[in-house]
Amino acid sequence: MAVLANRHDEFLGAGSRIFGLSADAVPQNAAVMEKLALPFPLLADPDRDKAITPLGFADEKDARQISRAGTVILAPGGDEVWRHTGRDYADRPHEDLVLEQVMALDLGPTRQEAPAIGAAEAGPTAMSLASLVPYLKGAKFASLALRSRHRELGAEFTDDAKQLVQRVDRYLEALDGIEGRRT
Amino acid sequence: MAVDFTVVDGAGETFTLSDYRDAAAVITFHRGDF
Repeated sequence: MAVLANRHDEFLGAGSRIFGLSADAVPQNAAVMEKLALPFPLLADPDRDKAITPLGFADEKDARQISRAGTVILAPGGDEVWRHTGRDYADRPHEDLVLEQVMALDLGPTRQEAPAIGAAEAGPTAMSLASLVPYLKGAKFASLALRSRHRELGAEFTDDAKQLVQRVDRYLEALDGIEGRRT
Repeated sequence: MAVDFTVVDGAGETFTLSDYRDAAAVITFHRGDF
């Protein structure tokens, strides 16, 4: 979400608003919105019966009753025009690809009000903003090491590892934008 | 068929997606507690 937040203006310029959605409770979502200074709302569907399951993103293999990672684009009027369903928590489409899909709708710019945020309470496994940088760097260098060690697995593996590293780099870059949105 | 749902926003207020149909919507699903 930090990467999308960093490019929020581009999505507005292309005629789309961004809405995050999770199965977490409202105070947990409020904590994430504060931490990442999200310029769009993070919506709560804690029972997964309003949006997550109806749209096909319930993760039935995870005992925590959470959502799969995914992205859906709706045209004005509400018809779905594109989706990506993540294979795992790190499998997300490149923001350029999502933006290209929106731009293909050929819309005028739009606006999105700053989201309202209520009382925040981070969940038990949530990471602080300060811990995100070493966490992401660890993920990056582990991916680089595995890519180097297992090149024999072929292009699908090495390309996947490369994309993961690039995604982490974009996330690290996006973290730099958070303070700017707070001011 | 148009997608619609009513959930709760970050302030605990009701949020209905169809109130925002004048523009496109990018909905990003998250696993949570991040």
